[in-house]
Amino acid sequence: MLRLIIRRIGLAIPTLIGVSIIVFILMTVVPGSPEAGLVPEDATPEERQAIRDQLGLDDPLPLRYVDWAIAALQGDLGHSQQRRREVADLLTQAWGNTFILALVSAAFGIALGLLLGYLAGTRRGKIADRFISVVSLGGLSIPSFFLAIILLGIFAGGLKWFPSGGASFDDPITALRSLVLPVLSGSLITMAITARVTRAGIVDVFGADFVETLRAKGLTEFEVRRHVLRNALSPVLTTSGVQIGALLGGSVLVETIFRWPGMGLLLYNAISARDLVVVQGATLVIALTFVIINLLVDLLQAAIDPRVRGAIA
Amino acid sequence: MTEIETTPDLLDAPAAEAARPAATLPERPLMELLDVSKEFSVRSDGKRVQLSAVNGVSLQVREGRTLGIVGESGCGKSTLARIIVGLHQATSGEMIFDNKQISTTKRRPREVVEQMQMVFQDPSSALNPRATIAESVAFPLQVQGRSSKEIAARVKQVIADVGLPANYATSYPHQLSGGQRQRVNIARALALQPRLVVLDEAVSALDKSIQAQVLNLLTDLQREYQLTYVFISHDLNVVEYISDDVAVMYLGQVVERGSAASLYEKPLHPYTQLLLSSIPSMDPADSTRDQPLDDANNKEIPSPINPPSGCRFRTRCPHAMAICAEEAPRPSNQADDHVVACHLYPGSSSTSLPEQDLRSLTAPAL
Amino acid sequence: MSQATVPVLLPTGFGSDVSNADREEARRRRDEWNAVDQSVRSQSFWRDTGKRFLQNKTGVAAAATVLLLALAAIFAPWLTPYDPLLGEPTDRLQNIGSPGHILGTDEQGRDMWARVLYGGRLSLAAGFIPTVVAAVVGTIIGVTSGMLRGVVGTVLMRFMDMLYAFPAILLAIAVGSSLGPGLTNTIIAVTIVFIPPVARVAEQATRRVVVQEFIEAAHLSGASRFRIARSQILPNVLNDIIVYASGLVGVAMIIAASLSFLGLGSAPPAPEWGYMLNSLRGSLYTTPLVTIVPGFFIFLTSVAFNMASDALREAMDSRL
Repeated sequence: MLRLIIRRIGLAIPTLIGVSIIVFILMTVVPGSPEAGLVPEDATPEERQAIRDQLGLDDPLPLRYVDWAIAALQGDLGHSQQRRREVADLLTQAWGNTFILALVSAAFGIALGLLLGYLAGTRRGKIADRFISVVSLGGLSIPSFFLAIILLGIFAGGLKWFPSGGASFDDPITALRSLVLPVLSGSLITMAITARVTRAGIVDVFGADFVETLRAKGLTEFEVRRHVLRNALSPVLTTSGVQIGALLGGSVLVETIFRWPGMGLLLYNAISARDLVVVQGATLVIALTFVIINLLVDLLQAAIDPRVRGAIA
Repeated sequence: MTEIETTPDLLDAPAAEAARPAATLPERPLMELLDVSKEFSVRSDGKRVQLSAVNGVSLQVREGRTLGIVGESGCGKSTLARIIVGLHQATSGEMIFDNKQISTTKRRPREVVEQMQMVFQDPSSALNPRATIAESVAFPLQVQGRSSKEIAARVKQVIADVGLPANYATSYPHQLSGGQRQRVNIARALALQPRLVVLDEAVSALDKSIQAQVLNLLTDLQREYQLTYVFISHDLNVVEYISDDVAVMYLGQVVERGSAASLYEKPLHPYTQLLLSSIPSMDPADSTRDQPLDDANNKEIPSPINPPSGCRFRTRCPHAMAICAEEAPRPSNQADDHVVACHLYPGSSSTSLPEQDLRSLTAPAL
Repeated sequence: MSQATVPVLLPTGFGSDVSNADREEARRRRDEWNAVDQSVRSQSFWRDTGKRFLQNKTGVAAAATVLLLALAAIFAPWLTPYDPLLGEPTDRLQNIGSPGHILGTDEQGRDMWARVLYGGRLSLAAGFIPTVVAAVVGTIIGVTSGMLRGVVGTVLMRFMDMLYAFPAILLAIAVGSSLGPGLTNTIIAVTIVFIPPVARVAEQATRRVVVQEFIEAAHLSGASRFRIARSQILPNVLNDIIVYASGLVGVAMIIAASLSFLGLGSAPPAPEWGYMLNSLRGSLYTTPLVTIVPGFFIFLTSVAFNMASDALREAMDSRL
């Protein structure tokens, strides 16, 4: 198992490097001159050149990447001129908030999806199944920002049950109340995908020979279902890494609408202000988080399912 | 079918008709393999190792006849089949086809490609599921740049030749039975009018009754078009039924070869004896399975990654001697073109026979 | 025995020792087999899929909805007298069903029905174009790396994996903010996001196909790799790619709408649905129903595409 972990981490390193290269290139080839925001409008060409030299903007790209990557490894992601803050500081604060939102959304969406998928899978073709299929198809097709707006209109505007935005962790009740709407709008798609995958898994496993064997051995229907569920869980786990990624990416929209002070909102504001250092830093951190979560999911799955263990090793 | 039957001297047919003294004309080999070897580079325990799939094989196929190749699964017979038709490049060795030397280690020139075709084992994967029967049969002709008129005529002809109704031309593989698909498979191989057809386990996936039908079809086609076959199978009964000559392979090497009659009647190599003793009956409808044999010593088949020293069969051989581990036995002609590579027979050990040159190992004709 | 008895299709000189009786016997035996199995009709995979799809009512309804939306977008000028970009400041934020404005007006007094119709052109283009381009490019990359197991294939797929390591929306945002706002850039961004997953689907399907014996048979006939890819592999991986890509159209629309919602999409006055939703956000509490109109159309189109995609998958699955 230890060898497996080391091997899998070894495989993730080139991916991490590749991700950082992509982020670097995307933010470096932007049209327009990067020093424009840093020099006064009436600067002489010499002054501009001085700034360019200072930032190393005329160095060859690979060299600039290495400089940037080394700094990033030491926790230096640059300085935001607009915000007058270190990017790393901005991100540390925001990362925690986003992580809480994504984690709660994932837990909620996956749990609900499992339940619905299980109900649909065990009642194949019945009304419950059809209803759940429609709901999950809808969940798959609704943009999270649209859902967020509808929820805002109903529960914050009309009914005034929940706050319309912001995060407050002063006391548990307010914290929970401020989480409800963002979690609902973010997790519907997770719920939908999980429900579909679970249903497909359960239908598959029920068709397998071993279920007949279990029944023949005289297990009660409840025990049979427990076995079925355990076997159907593997594909759910496989997709859950991608789900959390979708939640991290989707956080940009949800956080923007609910003014949730996480990386998504930070990214949105940075994009609006063309504050590319922050865009670069936030993109990098979200992508790296996603890669690491996928790594953890893989290892977790290997620990649970011996077949997967074989496939990775 | 015995040794005495001959084919006419093809380059001079009218003259041959005038006087055709039986058994005196030398039979022309259509295809000859000389010391062909193939190694694969594989991963084992994370290390790169060489797997010797085919090792020093020399064979001949007489024109218009069938050479059967038998052996257990994993003995390299399928690899050999692919080397013959040029799908695999051999690591070393030469081939002589129709009196011309052809490299086995490089890609083939296209005129040779047309002359050798192959019938594959699995009727379900040998045909493109998205193509109609006619499209599958026409493909090689299109690749070779024939005119569409010629292609249409040839496709019609060849589909009729293999005994399929013309209306099957527009149907798809999944609509056909296994036996019918194998007929299409044969039709495609014949489309280019090859002279040599390699049949790799061509009937193994079929039911017994269908096997018999397809074997009859193959012999009919051979007679009609003077085809030369290399028939590869693990099934001794089927091989005996269809072959004029037979070669027995073990772990990438030919251990014995001879006419079908003499090899089945008087097997020389201990491995051949073992194989034949395990046949339940001589009826082709009652064939052996593709499974490792339950031999006397009941040892596992050694891996081709690290084959035994000397004679590769010695680890399972009931007659193994000291010399078997030290020295690889050479093929020696025992009688009547019956060749065996075993230290039990005179001529196989270096001490009893002077160095032989390569040609003399394969000639006279097998 | 004269040359005339030698069949035309034989190489000269062959078969001279085969008697006519032998040949007739062989013919007779084959004719006997020919008599069996006479009733075979051609069953093309694509025609069968089409038939099964048409039997699926949900699928047909979904496909019809997509068609209707596309037609409405194309013929927008005939369906509304209003200009989608010009508003009547006195008619601002009319509710749904108000006289002259079926779907009401937006915060600048522009007719919502007109904006939805014209906006459909942009939103449908943003859903379709990236999917089609990514399907073509991804298929080329996937089939290539699935066929070539050497360095080229590995390098291509490794690069795809790296792009795949980003959450889809995040990558689109990153590419979008790098390229700058605009519909064209949105389309490019979504295309880049979709190429890796399509390539992966194509690569896996190709790997499944290349090991089959009919590919060996094709090599044996002397066909070039390109010819084999085109005529033997492509028809066998196309169904997987089409099913996968059809599910992407809805996602593409949502991502494109998200980008314009964030201000990275089409330039402001243009009536793209995602941008409309964002600009109407301020009037959520005054005219809630008008606000959700653009979102509803994104949802409707996306649902229709997803349902059609599901139906297509089912129609293809039930083969054999």
